[in-house]
Amino acid sequence: MGFWEILVRETPNFLPVLLEGAVVALEVAAGAVCIAIAGGLLLAIMLMTSFAPVRIAARSYVELMRGTPALTQLFIIYFGLADAGLSLPPLLAAIVGLGMNGAAYLSEVFRAGISAIHRGQTEAALSLGLPPLDVMRFVVLPQAIRIMLPAFCNYAVQLLKDTTLASSVAAPEIMFRARNLVMETYLSMQIYLLVACIYLAMSIPLSHLAARLQRAAQAWR
Amino acid sequence: MIRFTQELLENLPEWGPQMLAAALQTLQLTLASFLFATIMGAIVALARTSRFPALRWIAIVFIEVGRGTPALVILFIIYFGLPTILPALEFDSFTAAVIGLGLQGGALLGEVFRAGIEAIERGQREASLSLGLTPAQTMTDVIAPQAMRIVLPPIGNYAIGLLKDTSIASIIAAPELMLRAKDLASSSFMPMHLYVLAALFYFAMSYPLSLIVRRLETALSKGHR
Repeated sequence: MGFWEILVRETPNFLPVLLEGAVVALEVAAGAVCIAIAGGLLLAIMLMTSFAPVRIAARSYVELMRGTPALTQLFIIYFGLADAGLSLPPLLAAIVGLGMNGAAYLSEVFRAGISAIHRGQTEAALSLGLPPLDVMRFVVLPQAIRIMLPAFCNYAVQLLKDTTLASSVAAPEIMFRARNLVMETYLSMQIYLLVACIYLAMSIPLSHLAARLQRAAQAWR
Repeated sequence: MIRFTQELLENLPEWGPQMLAAALQTLQLTLASFLFATIMGAIVALARTSRFPALRWIAIVFIEVGRGTPALVILFIIYFGLPTILPALEFDSFTAAVIGLGLQGGALLGEVFRAGIEAIERGQREASLSLGLTPAQTMTDVIAPQAMRIVLPPIGNYAIGLLKDTSIASIIAAPELMLRAKDLASSSFMPMHLYVLAALFYFAMSYPLSLIVRRLETALSKGHR
């Protein structure tokens, strides 16, 4: 039987299993995004503070995380911490690992967005008597978000693809299930092509959204 | 923390040389993939800006698929998938990694090159053509030197990303840093030590590269927008 016939015949069997994995991949991505946004905002503020030790600590974190592969970080969190007595379940390890990695990346995006808003606006708002947190919330962030959105979407696409790394710590996402299916059926080409299609179906719309937002942001500026 | 450092230092004479050799393999893998990606990127950019719609469409599909598919999936298709269809397409894991990372890099760099070419004003191309330069001369003497300034920083950033992405090749057992770290971790039962050591090796390679790229970015943006 030919390659395509097998693909057509087996797709109804493979697809539900792989799509369950896609749900897990989206869960990992969603969890990681939450950690990355919270951590990224915190780091961005730390990077912009005038107190040098805080700034240096944040800068070191960002450089270390951006200078090492996500896979290595994931292995440190999953295998390394387990050896040190803290074993995280695979899914949680993947969320924490990708989230901590994303925080370093997003901190730069947030910092660039916030510093693109003219200083005069902050000074004006402060001199009008707004507390610093309100200045951030009502004056700077609403404008900065428009500038940051395209980069954020690109990050989301990258994150979605990076969830495949979670398969190497046995988190049951798409790749992990695909490898199990291959072990049962030996139909590696058909299965991995289906996996590629699932990722394309998720990432292409997202990256087009990023491109559209980019154009919108440029027109707005 | 102190005990961790002590144990790491105690084992360093044994691990150090092995990790260093593996780091060189990582650099080889990065360099080979980078060269392949550059060639592919140039072809993709030329096809993407071609006069023929068919070529443009092939390039667009290649770019979208290359950018939208995770590197790990591409490596698995090439390493595990291809031989099941055509036994002649069975590659060793290192070659499969170079092909996979290079193809994906071709899609990324193709867009970078295109942006560089298109950023040079159309008028310049027309002017040099009307001065009697051949299309090839126009490309190499007029457009490429100016486009270089625009594309160098993103190429540098791509190279840094690629260096880190080669760690994925360990999953198809290509000989590089992460695979060596895994092997040593399972034989010594000290995963934390070895993965931290691996992280330090990656950092030692990528950080200087990122400093160069940042310097390049500021140097090249001087006197221009």
